[in-house]
Amino acid sequence: MNATRLLALWKKESLALLRDRHGLAALFLMPMIFILVMSLALRDAFDVSAASDIGYVIVDLDASPASARYAERLRALLTFRDRGTLPDETAAHGALSRGELGFALVLPAGFAAAQPDGAAARGERPALRLLVDPVVPQALQTAFRLHAEAELGRLQTEALLRRLGRTLMIPELQALDPAAHGLPLETVAVRAGGGAAPVPTSVQQSVPAWLIFSMFFVVIPLAAVFIAERQHGTLQRLASQQVPFGLILAGKLLPFFVVNQIQAVLMVLVGRYLVPLAGGEALVLPSGGGTLAALWLVSAAVSVAAVCWALLIASLTRTTEQATVIGGVGNILMGALGGIMVPAFFMPDFMQQLARFSPMSWALDGFHRVLLHHGGIAQVLPPAAALLCFGLAALGAAILMNLRARRASPR
Amino acid sequence: MLRIRALAHRYPQHARAALDGIDLDIPSGCLFGLLGPNGAGKTTLISLVAGLLAPQSGSLEVDGEPLTAYRRSHPNAIALVPQDYAFYPMLTVAENLRFFAGVQGLGGRVQRARVARALAAAQLEGVAGQLAGELSGGLRRRLNLAIGLLGEPRILLLDEPTVGVDPQSRAFLLDTIRALADDGRSVIYTSHYMDEVQALCERIAILDLGRVLAQGTLHELLREGAASLVLRLARPLPEPCAATLRARHPELLLSDAELRLPALPADALPALLAELAAAGSPAEAVSYGQQNLETLFMRLTRRSLRD
Repeated sequence: MNATRLLALWKKESLALLRDRHGLAALFLMPMIFILVMSLALRDAFDVSAASDIGYVIVDLDASPASARYAERLRALLTFRDRGTLPDETAAHGALSRGELGFALVLPAGFAAAQPDGAAARGERPALRLLVDPVVPQALQTAFRLHAEAELGRLQTEALLRRLGRTLMIPELQALDPAAHGLPLETVAVRAGGGAAPVPTSVQQSVPAWLIFSMFFVVIPLAAVFIAERQHGTLQRLASQQVPFGLILAGKLLPFFVVNQIQAVLMVLVGRYLVPLAGGEALVLPSGGGTLAALWLVSAAVSVAAVCWALLIASLTRTTEQATVIGGVGNILMGALGGIMVPAFFMPDFMQQLARFSPMSWALDGFHRVLLHHGGIAQVLPPAAALLCFGLAALGAAILMNLRARRASPR
Repeated sequence: MLRIRALAHRYPQHARAALDGIDLDIPSGCLFGLLGPNGAGKTTLISLVAGLLAPQSGSLEVDGEPLTAYRRSHPNAIALVPQDYAFYPMLTVAENLRFFAGVQGLGGRVQRARVARALAAAQLEGVAGQLAGELSGGLRRRLNLAIGLLGEPRILLLDEPTVGVDPQSRAFLLDTIRALADDGRSVIYTSHYMDEVQALCERIAILDLGRVLAQGTLHELLREGAASLVLRLARPLPEPCAATLRARHPELLLSDAELRLPALPADALPALLAELAAAGSPAEAVSYGQQNLETLFMRLTRRSLRD
């Protein structure tokens, strides 16, 4: 008998969802647009070495072969946008204050002379000045500064070797190229099972975060449907027909779980195929049955948590406006706390401790274990189990809330 | 038979009891009218019978079996037709009926048969494929009623089932409800339309402030007030005469040119009419020993507004 009832509930919910074209568009298109926009907007947020649209100029006040060589080599190294040169520091100040540039590196007069093989090598040390627009993130300022210092160090080492070669009359020393003796530095991402791979792109890190955030927003359509049922008296009618409230919730769980899963698949497809078309990096999915199964397990656990959380909000609230505010703000808080908006590793210590209480942080942990560490089922079990427990607790609370509400009023 | 004894219910954080010791007997196959102003306790009583609220004190029995046990053994025997259009506007009429049959555990052939019967009873066959949200007010009321019939209930609770419909739809609904009672079902009917209740119901209870003020057959209730007098006067009664009458009949009600006396012996009537004529306010219309449900209701529940 309960199977007949549950089937009727699932069928009704599916028909209701399919008939609401605007609702469907909102359910599927909005998260897709959201993930596309967020992926493109934040594509370089985690990557200080990525090519950036922030422009820079070099103001060469020395106009010497040494300063020209340094400027040329620095340009080859930097990934910021090269906006050429400016004649003096005043022009650079103007461009920076108008927001046209991120950086201006001023090479002072006497730059060549102050080099180890220059005319005034032991004299006054003129300072290079890095002028920055204060809106440029600190990490990018540091990156520019480190590149400039490293290249200057290389230039000075070469000059020192040339001077030593001349003084000691050793031609080999004069011809020595320090760059030829440099050792390469590789960055390796460590994966589960001891494997190693190139470092994942920022898309790999940011797409799962916004995917989770969007999946939790199932609270808005679900609560709207639920509250409409309460206001139209259909919930009251179902209760008079002795349909247990738990069964009514179960009737919503599967259809909205499927909707949530389709949302997740569409968002992953956007990350995989649309983001690169729009100029971003493609989301790379792990290969192998075990890893894909782990990816689905995490995504299913997120859906269960999100749908049950939505059912709890729908049971707690009486109007769509309340559900939108409480559900929406609840999601934003969970997201802010759980490292969705700002990665947890950027947070101070006590906030990182707090982040552990957010289901979105468990979800993010689960996705990172698969997408970044290429972990299998065993690796994602702890976060998936935590999410499932959260879902069950929310569902239980929703049923209890309903029992209490029925004691207070039949409606 | 539905037997209600000493039924009381109080909502949390409410000073006054919603129901305060209700005793009612509703025989099988009876069309039972439940009347009362807003806040009288009708919805609470219906909610208790429908199982939406758990009883706090008193007893509810169907054929001698406690209501909760009866509902367990006969899950579809009591059906509620709420005042709201409690169905899904985005589903068709037939889909709504199939859904509500399904959630009552009715599947397969039984479901098809019950849906067909409900469609026929409410004459909705012609709009079975139409979205419920696109139906007219009358058709919506008929669908609301048809859903209540799917479980073939023995007790049907109708909460103002004719609100907002045209006279034709109302007549059709009342005929359908009458036929249900003729079929042996008990129908508990609440409405604010007194003429409807008077025309339809065999037994009536008037509730107010959680108590039963009067109950019985329509004939019994109307007979109770048989000696009442209503006069329409040619002009308002002069104050000295009004004061004299008030002193003699403390229950006198005077408003503009209308005079009401709830109880007056027949032999005192000629003298009163002569006295009024002498005072310059002769009677233009006289109603004696007659009342309808509305006058009885207003007399019992007073005329003050409730919300």
